[in-house]
Amino acid sequence: MSDLAQTLALLQFGDSFFPSGATSFSWGLETLRADGLVVRASDVEALIEGQIRHRWASFDRPALIASYRAAGDLDRIADVDREIDAATLAREARDGGRRIGSALLKVHAGMGTPGAADYRERVQRGDACGQMTAVHGLIGHATGLDETAVCALSAYGLAVGTIGAALRVGLLGHVEGQAILARMRAVVDEAVASPLPAVDACHAYTPMAEIAMMRHETGSGRMFAS
Amino acid sequence: MNTVTDQSSATAVRPSTAARVGIGGPVGSGKTALLEQLIPRFAARGTNLAVITNDIATREDAERVRRSGLIAPERVLAVETGACPHSAIREDPTLNMESADALDRKFSGLELILIESGGDNLASSFSLDLVDYWLFVIDVAGGDDIPRKRGLGVLSCDLLVINKTDLAPYVRVDLPRMVREANEVRRGKSVLLTNCATGEGVDAIVETIAREVLFDR
Repeated sequence: MSDLAQTLALLQFGDSFFPSGATSFSWGLETLRADGLVVRASDVEALIEGQIRHRWASFDRPALIASYRAAGDLDRIADVDREIDAATLAREARDGGRRIGSALLKVHAGMGTPGAADYRERVQRGDACGQMTAVHGLIGHATGLDETAVCALSAYGLAVGTIGAALRVGLLGHVEGQAILARMRAVVDEAVASPLPAVDACHAYTPMAEIAMMRHETGSGRMFAS
Repeated sequence: MNTVTDQSSATAVRPSTAARVGIGGPVGSGKTALLEQLIPRFAARGTNLAVITNDIATREDAERVRRSGLIAPERVLAVETGACPHSAIREDPTLNMESADALDRKFSGLELILIESGGDNLASSFSLDLVDYWLFVIDVAGGDDIPRKRGLGVLSCDLLVINKTDLAPYVRVDLPRMVREANEVRRGKSVLLTNCATGEGVDAIVETIAREVLFDR
């Protein structure tokens, strides 16, 4: 795959115009805002940075890379998928990961991305969980992206999804959002360079966001699905 | 490179058999009230039915339909839209599509899924990957100038519904003129009038959907 082709693929899959259902999720932000724990742009930035450093780098990334390195072996991807699902404590995070993963599989199956339709069938039969991170690895390999590009897409999706939610609920302005997104490049760069845990040793520690997602299950305000 | 092929697989996008009908329109125009009038009528016809709602900030519409006693609660799903109601039915309808697929898998013989959009503006419209047919509901209390503003929803929907016709004299709306202008801007596409508070006019909507979408099955 040429550099240009990879850049074009990244632009397509990383664009919020690419349909994945991600717009519907705030990953705890809706509740944190309602509880007065995230009230300004700097809080949003700290939340995203914490998610990248203390969850994405040591939890999502190893699973993502394992799924990518499975190179289309759907049994191995399903194993990684189950690990992610079992290790995701908050129900809305688990269900949200499944819903976005399923949505991505449906879109990619429709586009003819190799492996997407087969894996979607497994998910629909209940033989795989369809977690977003496992699906990102599958799709990244199937579309010819390199490993770094797949990591960039995943981390960017986390950052831009949270900033988009923050923008819509009025926690920051559009320029502030872009400035935060730009500053997150260095954070993601460091995260990608950090030691890579094995999948069965992946770990995360983001209690505030997880508790917020648990509280969101019964919260009255529900613009978002998490 | 393993490329994404352009061989679009219709079966991958739409494996279902149930027809999907969207109901869009501005906040307060009567979309949920219309749903509540449609459900018993389709039930009376023996149509195997399910419903998806896209509430803006709560699950109120979904709960209202579930508690109505008109339909089994498990046949009503709520999809949150992240404060982007029109994205959820147009640019990124994937979660609505997944929910519709889930209903198809869960209820064998499902014939019709009604998908109610969150209240939006006149520029909202449905992705044709999501629905086979869609209604846009406006109401006389929103003003009789709505049709001639030529909003995307008013122009491009398959069936325009003008609701709350009974209120016309109280909000100084010239209803015949509103209907005439609606027919003019829609160039012959269907326009029907309802009062969803009483059910007046709703039979004609059911007949239209039955004829144009269900093919009277």
